[in-house]
Amino acid sequence: METMQPSDSALISLYIAGKEEAFELLLERHKSRVFTTIMLIVRDEAVAEDLLQDTFIKTIHTMKGGRYNEEGKFSSWICRIAHNLAIDYFRREKRNPLLNLDTTSHAFNSLSLSEEGAEATITREETHARLRELIQDLPAAQKEVLIMRHYGEMSFQEIADATGVSINTALGRMRYALINLRKKMAAQPIFYDQNVYPRETDPVPIQRIAG
Amino acid sequence: MIKTFTHEKLIRYLYNELPADEQQEIEQALLHDPKLASHCADLLLAQRCLNDLRTTPSKKATDSILQYSRSFFRP
Repeated sequence: METMQPSDSALISLYIAGKEEAFELLLERHKSRVFTTIMLIVRDEAVAEDLLQDTFIKTIHTMKGGRYNEEGKFSSWICRIAHNLAIDYFRREKRNPLLNLDTTSHAFNSLSLSEEGAEATITREETHARLRELIQDLPAAQKEVLIMRHYGEMSFQEIADATGVSINTALGRMRYALINLRKKMAAQPIFYDQNVYPRETDPVPIQRIAG
Repeated sequence: MIKTFTHEKLIRYLYNELPADEQQEIEQALLHDPKLASHCADLLLAQRCLNDLRTTPSKKATDSILQYSRSFFRP
């Protein structure tokens, strides 16, 4: 039987009231998307983990300091913090670049060889590395919306407000981001790997409808 | 008659941001409009590939955050 999960809002109230376990659940619930959001911007595992810590530490200060604003969603709020910290870091690095030769192997490649065959693992990792490159190649505005919506799970309205554009502009950027990625993926045989690129091209919308 | 949809509405549909009635309208249109369905499938495939990129931080990183929280005293 599926157990009811407490809402973010309930967890925040418990945490503010002194229940540390509530924060553990919040962290568990949001760590992956916050980390992925940061990783796609900074592309360095160690830096991303530092920024992940900075992000959650900011939320701790705000919540325990009694300054948490209940109005917005926790998920959007933490994503904005993570995004801003990552962008700040990225800008600083652009001004004072440190050479990072390793742009393909990092925490994104989290599957171990024991979990699946070595060859399949390598293919998957190559495919993911390629996909990350394709995301990096997107125009900055499209990349920003894609990361905020897909990984940060901010709504399009929240993205529009955060980036100072209309909701239709945000939606348009997302659409072009997906179209551009799809076109580039279609042009590269690596994306036809069975593990990553599902065979059932035609039934996809039907599945979505049935769902 | 098949209703036409803006591309923006299709994107909102893909990200579950449409109200239920508009969602149903799109789903009806997808059943009868192969061009729209094909475009939607393309976008869904891109979405699905993006899902594969989600990753998690190390336990060490999350343990540090929890430790910080436990040691943080309210001002």
